[in-house]
Amino acid sequence: MSRFLNFSIFRYNPATPEIPPRMQDFQLDETPNMSLFIALNRLREEQDPSLMFDFVCRAAVCGSCAMLINGRPGLACKTLTQDLPDKITLMPLPVFKLVGDLSVDTGVWFRGLNENLEAWIHTDKPFDPQGLEDRMDNPTAHAIYDAERCIECGSCIAACATANMRADFIGAAGLNRVARFLIDPRDERQPYQVFEVVGTDEGVFGCIGLMACDDICPMEIPLQQQLALVRRKMALASLKGK
Amino acid sequence: MYLQETLAKSPRWEAWMELIELFTGLFLLVFLQFHMLAVATIILGPAAFNRDALMLDEYYLSYIGIPLVILAIIVHGLVALRKAPWRYKEMAIFIQHSRRLAHLDTWAWFVQIITGMAVLILAAIHIWNTLSTWPIEAAKSAFRIQSGSFSNLFLLLLIAEIHAMVGLYRILVKWSWIHRQKFTKWLVYATIGFVALGFIALVVFYFLDVKGLT
Repeated sequence: MSRFLNFSIFRYNPATPEIPPRMQDFQLDETPNMSLFIALNRLREEQDPSLMFDFVCRAAVCGSCAMLINGRPGLACKTLTQDLPDKITLMPLPVFKLVGDLSVDTGVWFRGLNENLEAWIHTDKPFDPQGLEDRMDNPTAHAIYDAERCIECGSCIAACATANMRADFIGAAGLNRVARFLIDPRDERQPYQVFEVVGTDEGVFGCIGLMACDDICPMEIPLQQQLALVRRKMALASLKGK
Repeated sequence: MYLQETLAKSPRWEAWMELIELFTGLFLLVFLQFHMLAVATIILGPAAFNRDALMLDEYYLSYIGIPLVILAIIVHGLVALRKAPWRYKEMAIFIQHSRRLAHLDTWAWFVQIITGMAVLILAAIHIWNTLSTWPIEAAKSAFRIQSGSFSNLFLLLLIAEIHAMVGLYRILVKWSWIHRQKFTKWLVYATIGFVALGFIALVVFYFLDVKGLT
């Protein structure tokens, strides 16, 4: 038995500022195993070709389709309408700059974050393209991989009260990225060397531990533990100095 | 680079404020639960209560403890409130965000701010009342509770326990490596236990025969 779904979708196009932001209603019949990706594409093809939203991979890999689904951030491609009530409200992610309707620019934000955190391996060791890779024990490799699964969809940032209130907060995605380099033995940076960026109120001490990031992360990265790891290391660095 | 920000930069203080918040909070939590156990000795009878009160007095624990607790409350309040959304815009963003998200832990911060401010007021009244009839004796406490303080003290008990246990939950979330699902249940049980203990103590005080004691 198929349902009729009532969508209420945020509409605003910065190119036509004379039309103010508004919520627009759409109706659509539900089909078996319909995801929000399918629903939005049908709405655009059948009802309103001007509807803007982002999709690339359709398989929870690229992270471009994150939006507020009934108020909570989530990936539209991974969300099935059968798990939602008849009325579905869709809004763009907060914190990120609006491109139009449901589409936001997470790319500039994440690029800025990664440049700020210098999110790459810092080492003085000369690179030997012929040499064997350094060995790493399995638990460390797993811990790095766990943090590395972040697809930069921005859901944790949109779910974070601090990030919503304070634009300079690096958020769970940033702190998870820091954790990834703190546990990587190839990165020679010591905790005190990232302290000025991470051990501040823009960094880990801006986090008030509301754990919305941990609850909504579509990749289910253990953010509570990642944030606590960075917090402990930064607190220790603040006491030890160097 | 921005001159004023670079000159004002002292990131270690931002970390230390967080640690001050943590340790004053832990200290107040231990004090509160110890205090609840101490007043609950009234359940064993006025003699047990008076003996404990006298012991705290004799070993000067009251004279060291009370100023320390007052100082800790003030410092903890100031440090913890530094992150609260005081500007109207921040507050509106926070409330709208919490309503959209409908997420219990996010609302818990709101609960912390409200209960924290309520504790500041109610604890000030409670400390004032206790100190103005120093020393602590079962008869004086019973008289106070029977002449109108029952509801105030029950409110303080409830609010302080909620604030303390939500605070402990958030300390464990922020600093420990244990997943929060593992300890939430126990913290709820402990909160109910301490509130029940305090309530029973209040009821015992309420029905205590003051004239028989003096």
